[in-house]
Amino acid sequence: MKTAVKMRPSFKDSSGRAKSVRTKRKNTSREVGYCGQIIIPSSLDYLPKVDEYVERKLRKLGVDKDKLADIAISVTEAATNAVMHGNKNDLKKKVAINLKVDSSCVEITVEDEGNGFDPEAVQNPTEEKNILKQVGRGIFILKSLMDKVDFIIQPQKGTIVKMTKFLS
Amino acid sequence: MKLSSTEMGDVMILEPKGKIMGGPDATLLHDQLHDFIDRGKKKVVIDLAKVDWMNSTGLGILISGLTTLRNNGGELKLANVTEKIQSLLTITKLITVFECFDSLDEAVASFK
Repeated sequence: MKTAVKMRPSFKDSSGRAKSVRTKRKNTSREVGYCGQIIIPSSLDYLPKVDEYVERKLRKLGVDKDKLADIAISVTEAATNAVMHGNKNDLKKKVAINLKVDSSCVEITVEDEGNGFDPEAVQNPTEEKNILKQVGRGIFILKSLMDKVDFIIQPQKGTIVKMTKFLS
Repeated sequence: MKLSSTEMGDVMILEPKGKIMGGPDATLLHDQLHDFIDRGKKKVVIDLAKVDWMNSTGLGILISGLTTLRNNGGELKLANVTEKIQSLLTITKLITVFECFDSLDEAVASFK
């Protein structure tokens, strides 16, 4: 939450419009881990950029292929929700993806500027009545693939999805 | 994601390559599937051999194609499902919805 408060003003330029894709490297020393972020406008067109950033960093840090795929899928799920349901595709709003890696785990937060939602209200997509629905599997999938998922809802300020994958 | 298509008799085959995660890639696959349907092609196989992974958007596109084809008397089948996608189909229970085959030839032959 501390990171989100610090970061949010940088989402927009002086005219109030969302800035384009931006990555920020905070630390690249493998001995003490990695910490960085990518910020995108609220458009699914930027999903491949997010995936490219996350996969490139995790591959470089030696995260194994299977775990890397689980993390990459989960990040695209959270980012899709942030763009579509959080920011409602409003290009003036941004989505920030923060990546933190140390020897024991990968921790990712995906932050939007929307009005939040109730994660408990999301229907189970594996129930018979939902099985053929085209949407509604994102949260279920990221909860299945990641070891720990927390939703930090801040009405009028945005939602933070915090996901952790243990590496050992 | 890159997408190519071929025909084997009256069976249309789609071969996506890379990752299916939404955005422009997903639109491409969705449009191609619906182009088949608009042209009256009712037998479709998606060969997933070269797909690293897909997320819920990709699964949604497969379901959309499947239900539209079935509503028009057709069928969509999957071939060469990779381990990661198999795992996603299992946890979402979509493995019970799709017919999956170990090879493209087996999937095509299953229509006869």
